[in-house]
Amino acid sequence: MNRKIVDFGRRNLAWVLLLVICIIFSFTNGNFLTLTNLLNILNQNAYIIISTYGIALIMMSGGLDMAVGYQMSICGVACALMLNAGVPIPVVCLITIALSIAFGALGTLLEQLLKLPRIFVSIGLSTVYQGVAYVITNSKTISGLSAGFKQIGQGTILHPNLTYATIIMILFGIVMSIVMDRTYFGRYVFALGGNEASARLAGINVKRMKYAIGMTAGFFCGVGALVLTSRVGAASAATGAGTEITILTGILVGGVSVRGGDGKIANCIAGVLIMGLLANGMQLAGLNTYYQYIAKGAIMLLVMWFDAFQIKRRALAASKRKEAAA
Amino acid sequence: MGRKILEVKNVTKTYPGVVALDNVSFDVEEGEILALIGENGAGKSTVIKTIAGAIQPDSGEILIDGKRFTKLTPTQAKEAGIGVVYQELNLVPSLSIMENIFLGDRVGGGRFGPNFREMRRRSEEIMADLGVKIDVSTQVQMLSTAQMQIVEIAKAVVKNCKVLIMDEPSASIPMAEVENMFRIVRRLREKGVAVIYISHRLEELFELCDRVTVFRDGRYVITRNVADITKKDLIRYMIGRELTEKFPERQVTPGEPVLQVRDLTGNGDFHISLELRKGEILGLAGLVGAGRTELAKMLCGDVKPESGQILVRGVPLKAASAADGVKAGIGLVPEDRKLEGVFLNYTIEWNIPVMSLKRVSRFGFMNFRELDRLTNTYVDTLDIKTPSVKQEVRNLSGGNQQKVVVAKVLAAENEILIFDEPTRGIDVGAKQEIYRLMNSLVEQGKSILMISSEMEELLGMSDRIVVLHEGRVTGGLEKDQFSQDKVLELASGITEE
Repeated sequence: MNRKIVDFGRRNLAWVLLLVICIIFSFTNGNFLTLTNLLNILNQNAYIIISTYGIALIMMSGGLDMAVGYQMSICGVACALMLNAGVPIPVVCLITIALSIAFGALGTLLEQLLKLPRIFVSIGLSTVYQGVAYVITNSKTISGLSAGFKQIGQGTILHPNLTYATIIMILFGIVMSIVMDRTYFGRYVFALGGNEASARLAGINVKRMKYAIGMTAGFFCGVGALVLTSRVGAASAATGAGTEITILTGILVGGVSVRGGDGKIANCIAGVLIMGLLANGMQLAGLNTYYQYIAKGAIMLLVMWFDAFQIKRRALAASKRKEAAA
Repeated sequence: MGRKILEVKNVTKTYPGVVALDNVSFDVEEGEILALIGENGAGKSTVIKTIAGAIQPDSGEILIDGKRFTKLTPTQAKEAGIGVVYQELNLVPSLSIMENIFLGDRVGGGRFGPNFREMRRRSEEIMADLGVKIDVSTQVQMLSTAQMQIVEIAKAVVKNCKVLIMDEPSASIPMAEVENMFRIVRRLREKGVAVIYISHRLEELFELCDRVTVFRDGRYVITRNVADITKKDLIRYMIGRELTEKFPERQVTPGEPVLQVRDLTGNGDFHISLELRKGEILGLAGLVGAGRTELAKMLCGDVKPESGQILVRGVPLKAASAADGVKAGIGLVPEDRKLEGVFLNYTIEWNIPVMSLKRVSRFGFMNFRELDRLTNTYVDTLDIKTPSVKQEVRNLSGGNQQKVVVAKVLAAENEILIFDEPTRGIDVGAKQEIYRLMNSLVEQGKSILMISSEMEELLGMSDRIVVLHEGRVTGGLEKDQFSQDKVLELASGITEE
């Protein structure tokens, strides 16, 4: 019984951590534990969490993508430009998402063509995206978006702080959890992350899977860009910048290994929320964005060290068990 | 002849469950080339590693130029005059020849790094000694494999080398370059260096070596002058025993052909034709590097052939990846189960159904009851020994890991199974179980192509044997023609005499 609780805690460490942070914050700030504040936090992080679903897939399959930030910028900017050009809202949404899916596929295409790990491809692409975003916006912020579009990120339902964006985030979270746990697609993702050579010889079409994963990541990045643009009511080349670090760190805090092959969507949500809460807490304490970068970087190093340590510990335990058996 | 420069005396090395070297003694004389031969697993590489200080023996001693050692470190071995050229080259491609030769050595004792003038002078001297004309400041990555090997040799002999050990030196370079390598080795012999030459190619040692020492099953068998021995004798010494393991009988008559390979070229193989019949175990023999695994990779769809045809039950296999091979019912149990077979970090119940996931899914959703059924069925039928199906595969023994790979392939309902070294690295008991399993599979009407380097296994399990040598079929043997000598002759490239 006791052991079961410990095991449960270990499997959902990110949620335990999130709970602890919430308790601490509720003592330091009387307004923290109100429904309004909690819903606000969800709304603020919705676009990051939605993008996380895709990047988590890439990481579970053993890849790493650093382009998501500026990819989001480009999509946001394109979306804002189209809206201001008078393109109907549903068409804008579809084109933005299609564009982002194409970017995701481009990542996989280059990965296959150049035979490079996704991390290198995505760092290159990220810089290209950054340049393109600045060129097409002329470094200006595009604002004055239509009220109808702003409804996605600002419109509420049931509660004055429960936005459509939050609902979208929760729904996709449930869908992706089910996909990862219950469909063969989910298992194939883990198969790739566990051992790509074995996956290939087991008859999994690795190439097609990588395209599927890249495009899924693109889809969620596109949805994230729409939500963000709509909530802010404007877009610039800098809107998405830095998101990739928050997502990557959040996913690692959520227990996904850098080597892939493990993890749960729900834990990744908790991981990103922890990052969001810490940023929020630091802001309340009067520490600006630059201090937050310091903290984020430190946390990232810490979780990466912890991950490497875990990998070593597991390998050691396995070899010891085998020796005992021999 | 000359003075004994290296003596190995009563060396024993055991690993858990295996005696790798059993009280082995032999010696090498100054200025001779000694061939060291034996089948895979005979203990050749273990004895080399012992001499080079890479592993420490349990007992026994090694005398190098009169100096007695019970255990050696790599540094001690080097200082005592042992140089080794391993099969795979260990050079830094971006550095020059001379920097590679003196890697890790402060030549001329410069305080701020090596003295390059001194390095160049000595490198040129060594190359001249070996009779090679080459600019020693060339980057290694600009060299051919044969030239790289020469740099390896230079690197091994640079420090007062008395005994040079060469592990399958002819395996990594083109045939045309072998003669040049021989010339260098002979030159070293003239200078008084003793050479231990390991090779699978028997014809080479008749051309190059003075004496030959045979190992078998971790034991020393015999040392003879090359001039006094025939190839047939050598093969007999190498195998030299009757089949000791009992291979279970099976009652099955092979039926119609299920897999036909016609004039297949690609992946290092040339014009391969063979036929696998229903209910048959076809043995695929050959030395390491003969192109057997390469053939298996083409048959399962993982590597695209350049030309030729693969027919599965008469239908041409058009495979873009292993996924198409699996669809056609061809399952591969790969040679390296850890790298290509299992998912070590995942549980048994995750691994076994992994090839069947699509089949047991509806609208993409997996049927978990069916997954459990598959897992339990195959854990039972293959007798996988584990406390729980939730055990991670990395915690299982080699034999049980192999069974998980087989279970994975069987659960996918493959009819044609390719077993690449099915019993490598697993203990005798588990081997028997794998054999019995293979028998029951063909009795159920499945067909097996078995790649094996173990003679007994090939002769004991196969209905027919096809032998490859350097990517080509050198012969096929029917059951009544089976003999160890015949297989080894074909495997070393002797076709008809």
